Amino acid sequence: MTFALPLSLLVDKTEAMSDAAPPSDEALVDATIRGDDSAFAELMRRHKRRVFSAASRFARDDHQMDDIAQEVFVRAFKNLRNFRRDAPFEHWLSRITVSACYDFLRRERRHRDTTSLEAVEYDLSDPSVESEIAAGRAREVLSWAMRFLRPEEQLILTLCEIDERPIREVAELTGWSEANVKVRAFRARASLRQVFEDHAEA
Amino acid sequence: MPKPDDIIDRLLQSARDEVPDTSRVEFAFETRVLARLREERSFGIAAWAWRLAPFFAALVMVAGVWERADTTHLQATAVLVADAVREHPDRILLSLVRQEP
Repeated sequence: MTFALPLSLLVDKTEAMSDAAPPSDEALVDATIRGDDSAFAELMRRHKRRVFSAASRFARDDHQMDDIAQEVFVRAFKNLRNFRRDAPFEHWLSRITVSACYDFLRRERRHRDTTSLEAVEYDLSDPSVESEIAAGRAREVLSWAMRFLRPEEQLILTLCEIDERPIREVAELTGWSEANVKVRAFRARASLRQVFEDHAEA
Repeated sequence: MPKPDDIIDRLLQSARDEVPDTSRVEFAFETRVLARLREERSFGIAAWAWRLAPFFAALVMVAGVWERADTTHLQATAVLVADAVREHPDRILLSLVRQEP
């Protein structure tokens, strides 16, 4: 014996499902806190592109990028109960991302100090640097130069100069005061200039 | 040779223009993170036990010190009682019979 559902009922149901607005980030956060892992998976699907994009500014390869992104979402998951709804989830996640990237830079520096530098040395007096930049290898040259800077200098240069975020936003993301961000950004730029000058002289 | 500031500006501009392709790393990312979270949850009890280990160690040490202090006090009382019995055995016997404190 078979039962057939009226087609009108099925159609109504499908239409209702397609019309339903996707749940907000806040609703997904609540569902995750209640123990729904699929809600957190949906949150990750929504925001991973942005997190990966930020991580790619600091990571040197895909493996490092994946590590940073995983760290961001694991931290977010563990601290979901601390998420206050006074700002969008995206902003809260951005702060975690910046914090995870900063920690990554500090770890990298420790690691770099104990291992040999395998970075390609660029001769800046050589006009081939121009061609390197022209050939789209600017990122490689920049990351080589950045490795001579301190983690906070790398972070501030990336946020202010590459991402071109306003000072106020950088201050919110890093937890530093606006004046502090300005001073650090100025010093970071000077340090980067010094790296190029030193290598040009050498 | 170009000035360092010019080089920096050009490098930063190129970095700004670059849109990294992260699609390869994004593949099955949710699955990896959820697997990691499940793994961390399963180790949760063991982790808590390790975290609480210093607390229990401190508790044992405090109990030991307390016990020792208590014994020292008892030892001092015992010495006093022994002296009293030695000097005035009749009085002690009398107070025991009368059940005086």
